[in-house]
Amino acid sequence: MSDPVPLTTDDPGQVASATPPAPGRSRRLGDRGLAVAFISPALLLLLAMSVFPLLWALYLSFTDYSATRGGPANFVGFGNYTAILTSAQVHARALTTLVYVVGAVSLQTGLGFTIAYLISRRTHGRGALTTLFLVPMMLSPVVVGLFWRFMLDAQFGVINSMLGSVGLGQVEWLTRQRTALVSLIVVDTWQWTPFIMLIALAGLTAVPKYLYEAASIDRASEWFRFRTITLPLVWPLLLIAVLFRAIEAFRLFDLVYILTSGGPGVSTETLSFHVYKVAFLGFNTGTASAYGILMVLVVVVLTQLYLRYLNKLKEG
Amino acid sequence: MLLVATTVAACGDGQDDGAKVSAPKAPATIPELTKDPLTLSFIWFDWPPAHALEAFANAEYKKERPNATIKVNTVPNANWHDAMFTQFAARKTDFDIAILDSQHIGEAVTNGNILDLTDFVKSNIDVNAYNPYLLAAYGQFPQAETGKRDENASLYGLPLLGDTWTMIYRKDLIGDKPPQTWDEMISVAGKCQAENPGVSGLAFHQANGSDAAAVTYNTVNGVYGGNLWDPKTRKIQGVLNDAAGHEAMDVLVNKMKPLTAKGSGNWFIDEVNAAVAQGKACIAFNWIAASGGLLDPKQSTLGTTREQILDKLGFATLPSQKTNLVPLGGMGMHVSAYSSTANQAEALNFMKWFERADIQKKWAAAGGVPARTDALESPEFLNAGPFNQVYADSVPRMRDMWNVPEYARLVDIENTNVNAALNGAKKPKDALDDIAKEQQSVLDSSGRKGGGGL
Repeated sequence: MSDPVPLTTDDPGQVASATPPAPGRSRRLGDRGLAVAFISPALLLLLAMSVFPLLWALYLSFTDYSATRGGPANFVGFGNYTAILTSAQVHARALTTLVYVVGAVSLQTGLGFTIAYLISRRTHGRGALTTLFLVPMMLSPVVVGLFWRFMLDAQFGVINSMLGSVGLGQVEWLTRQRTALVSLIVVDTWQWTPFIMLIALAGLTAVPKYLYEAASIDRASEWFRFRTITLPLVWPLLLIAVLFRAIEAFRLFDLVYILTSGGPGVSTETLSFHVYKVAFLGFNTGTASAYGILMVLVVVVLTQLYLRYLNKLKEG
Repeated sequence: MLLVATTVAACGDGQDDGAKVSAPKAPATIPELTKDPLTLSFIWFDWPPAHALEAFANAEYKKERPNATIKVNTVPNANWHDAMFTQFAARKTDFDIAILDSQHIGEAVTNGNILDLTDFVKSNIDVNAYNPYLLAAYGQFPQAETGKRDENASLYGLPLLGDTWTMIYRKDLIGDKPPQTWDEMISVAGKCQAENPGVSGLAFHQANGSDAAAVTYNTVNGVYGGNLWDPKTRKIQGVLNDAAGHEAMDVLVNKMKPLTAKGSGNWFIDEVNAAVAQGKACIAFNWIAASGGLLDPKQSTLGTTREQILDKLGFATLPSQKTNLVPLGGMGMHVSAYSSTANQAEALNFMKWFERADIQKKWAAAGGVPARTDALESPEFLNAGPFNQVYADSVPRMRDMWNVPEYARLVDIENTNVNAALNGAKKPKDALDDIAKEQQSVLDSSGRKGGGGL
């Protein structure tokens, strides 16, 4: 007969230590087990939705597989990669994408920082203004595309109507080679300038006030304060915003799809739009996979170089 | 994008289907139908005939099969091909009947995505009731040459909606008599534009999505005596861009384009209809099946009643020039190979019902465009709309595009290049030569291992 277990005690901790649970009987998880249990669902989802397709794409990129034709996926080595890297069509789309990314991100950075700087100097209504500026960013790109498609319509659009009312002629915003890409850049800038503004505003409000106070005691000019205090302190944060926007702009698809369908001709066809056509019009899944892998590689390599620069800046 | 493409590919499990290179056969007789409630799903693009079909089928088919509900799922026109074929790629569809464009049949058949209906048609459908070219265009693969349906070829679909272009002209601006030749039409349009400030001479499809700009070029190419390809030798290079082809491109870009509204380089069905309804075009071209809305006073500034609008608008067959060819439009019904057995049986039963002479006449009265000759010639059809006689007169003049598995890429090449020429991004001659060269490359490289598809 075992000793009776006391029902109450003045010192439960002592009892617990005095009677450790028998091995194998406890169903309580340790910290590690608990962490695994919580992380597992997300990890499995990530593996199933991201890692597996990525590895599958990598495998398919070395084959001639077509998703609709079915049949075996024949190994073609680097055939798909060679075809993409030597294709004049891909080079043209890469140039279009580059012009778009540089144009859109530069414009957004300049505008976003300027707006953030002006807002940061206000004491009243800063919150309301910030919220107002953030509205475009909250909209779906498809909605933005459709909205601007109507606005920019040469015949019935508001923009041309306004131009007409001040005596200017009609502009074929979306159907001329020169203006179509500019239109895309403008619409993307309208939507994503608030993102840069938001990050710049965070940087600007984080600049210690005593630096400005010291500068004003030294009677430093406004420009001197901006050049030697504001800009250097906000610059690293701004560069991170630029990185995010550049990656996002590199993947541009929705606005092109809605606004121009890549036209006129293929003059606004970005790499993402082109890979969509390869993947879903011809269902050349192997080629499209190689295309996608190459795009990921380009982003990864450029991001690494950019991050190294950022680190150097930080160390400096 | 990458993830979607690869996930679809992964779900497709194509390696297990290696042996399946042709369409599975539908039974010759309709299997026993279920008595349980059942939804028969279609997939089509979003336009008035899609909504008309759903309303018509639910009203009429339910009389025969009360447990069946018809659902026509619609997607934007530009997504139509992708929406069907990405599901085919996954070997699982949320539709039972795919409404395929005639040129999609080749891709669907060679991939084994739709049922072979040959035996079913032999046992259940009177093939002699149809214009042979229409039956072939909407169901046969390999494609028939113009006007000659191959009696021994397999059928994979049955007509749902016939269509072609109609010329829409302003009777109050150019007179009651429509122009008879293409050159005359351009001349009349030019005069009308000059005399009516704010109204453009012409309105037609120029967009680079779907098959918009491509059909426009093909139409002009046809009337000026050009050919799209030589189907026997599969030659496009040197055929499309011969003297007739270049003349057609020159007419389109240098004579017709200047008569269109500024910024109309991305116009398709809706924009052309809007221009006509707002009184901004002297002469326009559009698909007949999409023209019904033009007579709706709520959508038009041309009159407050249908009669007032018809006083101003006339509908005529396309003018001819060196030939009298017109573009074939319309679509057929095709049974998904991945639909459940019960739904496939219901789909076959629906198709047999739909193709009956009396139902085709009712469909015509409800706004449909039939392919059965008796329905085409019936008063129910000819009196249902002012453009229906245009369709009946156009049937013997129709020409389709290439019905090959590479269709989607061929039409994209043509669309983008014609659109580029129309919008000044490419010289007309260069655009046509590029189309021929790139399309030939697609045909020649089909089946090549690696690097295809760029």
